[in-house]
Amino acid sequence: MLIDTSRFGQIEVEQSRVINFPNGILGFPSHNSYVLLQPTEDSHFYWLQAVDRADLTFVVTDPSLFVTNYRVPLKTEQSQELGISNLEQAQVFVIVNKRGHVLTGNLQGPLVINVKDKIGEQLVLSDRRFTTRVPLTELQSPVEAVAV
Amino acid sequence: MLVLSRQLDETIMIGAQIEVTVVDVRGDKVRLGINAPRNVQVHRKEVFEAIRNENTQSISVQMDDLEAADENLRTMRRHKPPRSQST
Repeated sequence: MLIDTSRFGQIEVEQSRVINFPNGILGFPSHNSYVLLQPTEDSHFYWLQAVDRADLTFVVTDPSLFVTNYRVPLKTEQSQELGISNLEQAQVFVIVNKRGHVLTGNLQGPLVINVKDKIGEQLVLSDRRFTTRVPLTELQSPVEAVAV
Repeated sequence: MLVLSRQLDETIMIGAQIEVTVVDVRGDKVRLGINAPRNVQVHRKEVFEAIRNENTQSISVQMDDLEAADENLRTMRRHKPPRSQST
């Protein structure tokens, strides 16, 4: 299938790669179909591109690359809605935002995706340790790296 | 908006399964007890709003930002000393 995107132009994507978010993503309840795109093979980030709106694209990443001790509690009912019967089917992503020269992750509203059946949901965590703006990485080169 | 008056320990029903009970009233603070089926998510509204706002702002991150961050992360991994096996 062909998808119009404002960042990559028109792209061809296998229908089988489309991820269904039955409840949408908070703030965008009427957009339910997304595809996950990786810019380069060694990139730490992915693009979550809406199928039916060219400019609706989230940057997402695997939080475990940046944050230790982050666990997403998944209730039995939520697992059932996502069709997750074993945890290997589940992949957690967080949405990335930019604040000044820092990339932040929304750890309070993680995305859980059943990668096998391609169903996703944005969860809302009550745990106040995890906010919507947890710093992940700097955009500017670290001084040590420049000095080497 | 439907407005109902309730006293301490009184309950309202939302549908047949969701109960909201006034558990405590102290000054301007009201504590509510909620009984709902487990598939109904109950959260403070501020939390939802914070996530919704963050989502809305997040769609403006650009490709250049990611390239810079990726390059940084690769550099940091290259310069990270190999992990020692000793304790």
